[in-house]
Amino acid sequence: MRETSVSQPADLHPLSIAYRAVSQLGQVGFVVLLSFYGGTDIANGFSFVLLGVAALGVALAAVLVWQFAYYKRFEYEITDDSFDIRSGVVSRRNRQIPLRRVQNVDVTENIVHRLLGIAKVNIETAGGSQSEASLRYVGADVARGIQREVRRRKTELTDEASEVTSEGDEDVVGESLYEISNHELLLLSTFSIDVRLIAFALFAVSFLPSESLPFEALPSRLAVVPLLVLGVAVVFVLWLIGFATNFSRYYGFVLRRVDDTLSYERGLFNRYSGSVPLDKIQTFTLDENVLKRYFNYATLGVETAGYSPTQSRQQGSETAVPLAKRERVLSLADEIDGVDEPEFMLPPKRARRRYAFRYTLLTAAVSAVLYAVSVYITPLRWYLPLAALPLVPFAAHLKWSNRGYYIGDGYAATRNGFWNRTTVILPYYRVQNVIESATVLQRRWGIATVTFDTAGSSGLRNDEARAVDIDADEAERITGEVRDRLQGSLAERRAERRRDGTWLDSVATDSPDASLGTRPDADDAQET
Amino acid sequence: MEQLNPRIRTVWLAVSVVAAVALAYVVGLAPTETAVQPPVPLSVVVFGVVLVVGVVYQYLRYKAWGFEIQDDAVYIEHGVVVRVKKVVPFVRVQHIDSRRGPVERASGLASLVIYTAGSRGADVSVPGLTPERADELRERLRELAIENEESIEDAV
Repeated sequence: MRETSVSQPADLHPLSIAYRAVSQLGQVGFVVLLSFYGGTDIANGFSFVLLGVAALGVALAAVLVWQFAYYKRFEYEITDDSFDIRSGVVSRRNRQIPLRRVQNVDVTENIVHRLLGIAKVNIETAGGSQSEASLRYVGADVARGIQREVRRRKTELTDEASEVTSEGDEDVVGESLYEISNHELLLLSTFSIDVRLIAFALFAVSFLPSESLPFEALPSRLAVVPLLVLGVAVVFVLWLIGFATNFSRYYGFVLRRVDDTLSYERGLFNRYSGSVPLDKIQTFTLDENVLKRYFNYATLGVETAGYSPTQSRQQGSETAVPLAKRERVLSLADEIDGVDEPEFMLPPKRARRRYAFRYTLLTAAVSAVLYAVSVYITPLRWYLPLAALPLVPFAAHLKWSNRGYYIGDGYAATRNGFWNRTTVILPYYRVQNVIESATVLQRRWGIATVTFDTAGSSGLRNDEARAVDIDADEAERITGEVRDRLQGSLAERRAERRRDGTWLDSVATDSPDASLGTRPDADDAQET
Repeated sequence: MEQLNPRIRTVWLAVSVVAAVALAYVVGLAPTETAVQPPVPLSVVVFGVVLVVGVVYQYLRYKAWGFEIQDDAVYIEHGVVVRVKKVVPFVRVQHIDSRRGPVERASGLASLVIYTAGSRGADVSVPGLTPERADELRERLRELAIENEESIEDAV
C-alpha cells in the first residue's frame, strides 16, 4: 500500500473539515442554545427560537471557516529521519519529531470515523505523558500507510546504526502471534462477570428480614422470592453490560510481532491499535478467574514501564492475549520472551489453618455485628452468617491452594487469589528490590511474605509479585536466591548484548522509570 | 548491622509526647456532665496511656532498626508490628539523597533516602543518622552505584 504516498508534504482528509466542524459545533451550539433559552417565557418563545436558530447559523458559518483554515494550514511530512508537522491558523507551529524517538503510532477510529473512512493518528514518544502529535483526521488507508512508513524508516535508521542488515519489507508487517476467534470472543465476553458479584447478591438477599419487605400480602416464606428475582435481574443486567463492553473492546483482536515490538489491533466501534516494545516489558500476568480455570482458559497481560500507549502514566498494563487455552497462552509467553511454565510450591499447611481461623473469626464478627443491630435497631436474621461456618475449611483450602511461588532458572513466579487468580511471572533482571515482611500475627505462625518489586507493578491492582505466607526460613532463602540470580541474570544479559552488538540501542530505550519523573530524553547523550 | 544514632529515640519520644498532649486536649474538650465523675479526668488517663505506649514503641522501634552495606546491595531491617527486611541492589540505585527536615535539623540528625525505579522506590529511607554519616553513606552508595552501573548497563 505504498501508493498512499506519505513521503511528500500531505494534507488532512477533506472530510475532517466537516467532522471537526460538527463536533466543535456540538460544544459551541450547546452554549449558544443554552444562553438563548435560559430565560424564555412562553409568550416570547417564538422569537427567541428564531434568534436561536439565527445565532446557530452564524456559529456554524464561523466554525466552518475556522476549520477550513485549520485544514488549509495543516501539513505533515515524513522525512528520512523525522516526522514534521506544520500547523496553526493564527500562530504557526513547526514541530519535528525525530523518528528514532517515536515509540508508537496509534490509529484510532470510532464508528463515525469508520463510516466516513477517516482515522485519528497519534504519534507518541517515550518521554511524553501525552501524544507528541495528533493528526485529526486522515484517510483510514493513509493512517495505516503512515504507521507502516514510520515503522519502516525507523527500522532502517536503527539498522544503519547497529549495522545489521535489513531483512526486507515483508518483515515490517510482522508475524501474527494471535488472533481472537469468534469462539474465544464469545467466551471472553461471557466470562466478563465477576463471580463474586453473584455470590454476594445471593448472600445479601438471603438474610434480610421478611417483615421489612413490601410484600405483606404474600406469606412471609414466599416474600424472599421476588427479591431473589430482583437480585438475579440485577446480576443479569450487569453481566449484559460486561458482555457488551468486552465484546466491543476485543472484537477482531490481533497480536503481531514486528521486530522487537508487540503490536495489537482491536475494537468493534472504536478501532484501536497500539504497540508495546519488548524491552519495556517488566512482568507477565496470567489471569484466570474461576470460570476460566474451569474451562482451562487464561488471559495474558504484560506490565510495562517507561511507556504505555493508553495511559498517561508511564507504567501500565496491556492485554497481550485476551483469552486462549491455557497451554496456548503459556506457549505464546514462551514465544515472546522464553517464559517456561512455573511449577508452583505451596505455602506451608499452617497457612491454611491460619485462613480457617481467620474466616471463622470473620464469620463470628459479622454475626456479632448483625446481632447488635437486631437488638438495638431492627430485627435481622443475625444467625444466618453462621450457616457459612461449614464452608470455612473449604474456603481456607481454596485460598491456600491457589497461592504459590516458583523460583525458576530465568524467571520467578507467584500466584494468588481464588476468585480471580493472578500469576505474575517476572524475569530476574527486572527485580528492583526484594522486600520480606512479617506482621506480628505472621511471626506467631512462623510465616512471612516476600515481595519482588519491579518498575512495572502499580501495587494498586493485584499485579505485584508476592509470595504470601510462606515459611519464614524459606522466605529468607528465596530472598537470597533471587538476589543472587538478579546479579547473574544481569551479567548474562550484558554479555548477550555485547555479543549481539545491539546493547547500545537497548540501553537508549531502556529508560529509567517514570515514578521518578525522569524523562528518557536524558538518554539522548547515550544514543548519539 | 549498623544501628541508628540513639538521639533518634529522643525525637520519637518527643513526637509521642506531642501526640499525647494533643489527644488529651481533644478528649478534654468533650462535655464532662456525666452523672458519675471519674476519680481521674479522662484526658489525664489518655495522656498517660499514649505516653506509655509511645515509650515502649520507641524502644522496640529503635531495637528493630538496622542497616548494612553488603557486597551487592543495601540491606535494611525495621518495623515493630510489621517486620520488614529490604534488599536494594546497588545496580538498582537511581539516586541518593541525604535529607535534613526541620525536626532533624533541630535534633542534629539527618536521613538517607535511596531511590530505585521500583514502584515503591521512595520507600527506602534510613532515618536517625548524624549528618556526617548520612553524607558519607550517600557518597559511598553513589560510588557503588556508579561502579555497578559501569559493569552492568541496565537501569530498568
